[in-house]
Amino acid sequence: MAAISLLNPKAEVARAAQALAVNISAAKGIQDVMKSNLGPKGTLKMLVSGAGDIKITKDGNVLLHEMQIQHPTASLIARASTAQDDMTGDGTTSTVLVIGELLKQADIYIAEGLHPRVLTAGFDKARFKTLEILDKLKIPIEVNKESLLDVARTSLRTKVHRELADVLTEICVDAILAIRTDNKPVDLHMVELMEMQHKTATDTQLIRGLVLDHGSRHPDMPKRLTNAYILTCNVSMEYEKSEVNSGLFYKTAEEREKLVTAERAFIEERVKKVVALKRKLCDGTDRSFVVINQKGIDPMSLDMLAKEGIIALRRAKRRNMERLALACGGVAMNHLDDLHESQLGYAGLVYEHILGENKFTFVEECKIPQSVTILMKAPNKHTLMQIKDAVRDGLRAINNAIDDKAVIPGAGAFELTAYKELMAFKDSVKGKSRLGIAAYAEALLIIPKVLAVNSGFDAQDTIVELQEESRLNPEPVGLDLSSGEAINPKEAGIYDNYIVKKQIINSCSVIASNLLLVDEIMRAGMSSLKG
Amino acid sequence: METREILSLQFGHYSNFIGTHCWNIQERSFEYNSTTPSEINHDVLYREGLTLKGEVTFTPRLLLVDLKGSLGTLPESGNLYDPQVPPSTVDTWGQGVEIRESDKLPKNALQQQLDMHNSLRTNSNLDNAVNVWSDFLYPRFHPRTVNIIKEYMHGGESEFDVFPLGAKLWKTEQFAEEFADKIRNYIEECDSFQGFHVTLDATNGFSGLTSSCLEYINDEYERKSILAFPVIPSHYVDSEDERRPLKDSICVLNLALAFEMLQEKSSLFVPLCTGSNGWRKPGEPRKFYHVSYNSTSNYHTSAILASALDTITLKHRLKSRHDSLGDFCAYFNTHGRAAAGASLCLPFSLNKNADFIDCLDNWEGPLTQSITPNCTIGTDNLVQMFTLRGIPENRLKRPLPNANKQKLMSAYNCNSVNEMLNFYLSCNYYICLNNVTTVSQGMSVKTPFPNIFDEFVGNNGNIYGDSRPMDTVVESVPILAGLHSGLEVGTMLESLHTEAKRIKHPHKQQFITEGLEELELSESLNKLLELKECYENN
Ligand SMILES: Nc1ncnc2c1ncn2[C@@H]1O[C@H](COP(=O)(O)OP(=O)(O)OP(=O)(O)O)[C@@H](O)[C@H]1O
Ligand SMILES: [Mg+2]
Repeated sequence: MAAISLLNPKAEVARAAQALAVNISAAKGIQDVMKSNLGPKGTLKMLVSGAGDIKITKDGNVLLHEMQIQHPTASLIARASTAQDDMTGDGTTSTVLVIGELLKQADIYIAEGLHPRVLTAGFDKARFKTLEILDKLKIPIEVNKESLLDVARTSLRTKVHRELADVLTEICVDAILAIRTDNKPVDLHMVELMEMQHKTATDTQLIRGLVLDHGSRHPDMPKRLTNAYILTCNVSMEYEKSEVNSGLFYKTAEEREKLVTAERAFIEERVKKVVALKRKLCDGTDRSFVVINQKGIDPMSLDMLAKEGIIALRRAKRRNMERLALACGGVAMNHLDDLHESQLGYAGLVYEHILGENKFTFVEECKIPQSVTILMKAPNKHTLMQIKDAVRDGLRAINNAIDDKAVIPGAGAFELTAYKELMAFKDSVKGKSRLGIAAYAEALLIIPKVLAVNSGFDAQDTIVELQEESRLNPEPVGLDLSSGEAINPKEAGIYDNYIVKKQIINSCSVIASNLLLVDEIMRAGMSSLKG
Repeated sequence: METREILSLQFGHYSNFIGTHCWNIQERSFEYNSTTPSEINHDVLYREGLTLKGEVTFTPRLLLVDLKGSLGTLPESGNLYDPQVPPSTVDTWGQGVEIRESDKLPKNALQQQLDMHNSLRTNSNLDNAVNVWSDFLYPRFHPRTVNIIKEYMHGGESEFDVFPLGAKLWKTEQFAEEFADKIRNYIEECDSFQGFHVTLDATNGFSGLTSSCLEYINDEYERKSILAFPVIPSHYVDSEDERRPLKDSICVLNLALAFEMLQEKSSLFVPLCTGSNGWRKPGEPRKFYHVSYNSTSNYHTSAILASALDTITLKHRLKSRHDSLGDFCAYFNTHGRAAAGASLCLPFSLNKNADFIDCLDNWEGPLTQSITPNCTIGTDNLVQMFTLRGIPENRLKRPLPNANKQKLMSAYNCNSVNEMLNFYLSCNYYICLNNVTTVSQGMSVKTPFPNIFDEFVGNNGNIYGDSRPMDTVVESVPILAGLHSGLEVGTMLESLHTEAKRIKHPHKQQFITEGLEELELSESLNKLLELKECYENN
């Protein structure tokens, strides 16, 4: 490369300009695909594969993962945006839109001869300023149901239809409030998401306890127990031949038989310990007994337990050991010696539900469940997937709000305010980099513009009207998607996450700058594009 | 009779080619209303299920992994449990919807026939109709079977090419949670689960994915056996000259890392390839009498490897025996000998009207041909196991009154095919520990098995003096497959070690970039050498 540029420095410049043009057009392309997703009025996308697989989504992140993006620049943008989602669970679509818009704006200035370096310097200044503006817009919240409902609802209504969104909003907020203990960070894994292909989406519900995706494997085990002790353990109750050293040849049949008997007796002992505890605690009372084991339980052991009226589940999820302890109390046991009542959990109701070949076990009526289950229902797989994606986003939006202890007014209010203040700030900056600041401010407006277009309003008209309103109004002004007029997002309860906006501001500026300084990208390019 | 269940795992496209043939071979031999019941206990590898509509299903207990775009016309969750719906009928709650529909891929004749009749009525030649494995897939899968990696595209120069990428991929939710859960779902429903059959593409990123998966399995399902088949295609599609030396080096390093992890994490592993060299270049195609196959066709070569795999694993899938997978692996894996070589005789050529005794008497050279790269199996100092299928007991020898010359052979005293093959081995192999399994039914090679047999192979796989008539198809064949452990296996490992050692830094770069440390790499190579030493006579 060096040799060529020595011979003909112009070639290098031309090549860079060409690469820039390619980057800009790729960014526009991916922006076009994603545009129609934004906001509650965005359109649903149905992706149908060559084999007829259907995937329905309104989520930018899901879409980017499903689409086949060939162009390296587009794929870089896609990766930056999905990385955004990995961190905060939201804002993918906005990221793509803003990056695209930053490049479009830059294109105008570069065509007029401005060096990309000057622009990116302006972007950088604008970014700092925008973060300041964002901090000023923060609305502090108390962690309570009312304030969390708003942010959850805003998020969920951008993902599924209104009626379902409202069902899920309530569920997600209740779930988080149930597992949250004061001032400790929430572990979202303690909300189990369980799918059931059954009934309709709005039948989705919160179970204040656990739903396991398996049931007992013995015909005589009870299908329902009340007032139950729960023994959670990670102890094999399954006979397995001990470490074989070529059983085929080195052992006589008799020797092997002996070994088998000894091993079996060993397992039997374990089961007997459980049975003894159950008898001690339950016999003669109205209490019952449930065993949930992470390891296997073989038919002979199941048989012994069934005879005692115990429900026993084998091969529970590793994570359910922790969840069960939080939902029912008790401790997950790694051995069965000296078992004691205090190590057991409690559930008021344990029962089995069968759907085709799938069994579900509900562990409910727990005392103070700190692990809960969102039981998602829908008649088909693609709806289940859509609900699952939405619930995840909802949970993260709530969790972000708790972490941030604040929210940001949505419906384009933040972007409009930032525009107004950046334009004022620009005038205080000397030199050409102010052009970069103007471009940046302009680019942010893409959010309210697209929100308007997706609701059937003219982008330009709407923006003019909103800016007018914003000038007169000290409060942040947003867009009412049903009337196309200005609203106060606070009054309408439309809130976004602070952390999400912050991420968008940071990642958009960085990616757009990198794409503009195309030379550097080309060199660093190939390795950073992989993996 | 107690069934000891096995879960099959297939990692990568070539593995799925082999797997597809294996499932085809099995299902094409299902007899629903036959008077001669199968000798195979299908419950070992299959599971019974129930759809939401209450229909009973019988599907492979299988999880497979492949890259995005590798499925062709096969929907990801199949259509057994959830019939596909046309996009226009999908409920979108009155919201605006934008449909992005990829072009509907055309189905080949075989798949059309299966769609229409749910069975195959005619035999067809699929040589030009197979691009991906689903093109010749006969059975229908459980919805949880297929797992597609969205991060990497199938075809061309795939970017999923080095071991550490696979290891990284395992950490994503799709694997660490969903895939792991699917394993658990399968095992939870088993009453007497014994272990895993694992087939993996060992030359690319799938080796690393498998490694992490096996680590998880060892952790979560301790004491369950793992029989692994690292496989190497006999032909690479992307033979772009300029990049090929680099790609070859990458293959070799992946293989070395795969073998090293398998010695630690599997109960026994058996490398398979129809090319004789395997490592850098697949090399000369292995030859089989009465077979002519296209060594650049995955569809052909995977059929050969599948025949071996299906036959080798018969031992612990029979109704009549109670061999366990654990015993099977432990038979070979003593003193750290975690690797074994495989060999095959396809078809096992028994002449029409001839008896097994004459066949063996006239046999020249070794019984089987190696299908493990860089591994020429000899005739002494071996621990080995043979499985012969397709020689019914009535073809053993003539009854005494018309036995003629047969009477003079000492083998005439043998009273079963099994006994006679054992006897043959004891006469022709020296200081060997032999184990023989025999099954009287042949292996089904009906469509979609490729027609790779020459004109002298008859309908039942026996060899005829003259060409078979045009309208006769080969339906089943006798087959002999062997597994071997001995010095030769050590030699194979040594040759891989030598190849890997030779690779210079630039060709290792991609592994380092993706997070593997130099030191780890050289340690892995050392361990490979240690494994080789386990095969030296002390
Ligand atoms: N009721 C509403 N009225 C107006 N604007 C809204 C409303 N609800 C949400 N918005 C706005 O919609 C935008 C978010 O849309 P959306 O969630 O579709 O995209 P995203 O968060 O950028 O990406 P992702 O697809 O990852 O969620 C935010 O700017 C938000 O303020
Ligand atoms: Mg969003």
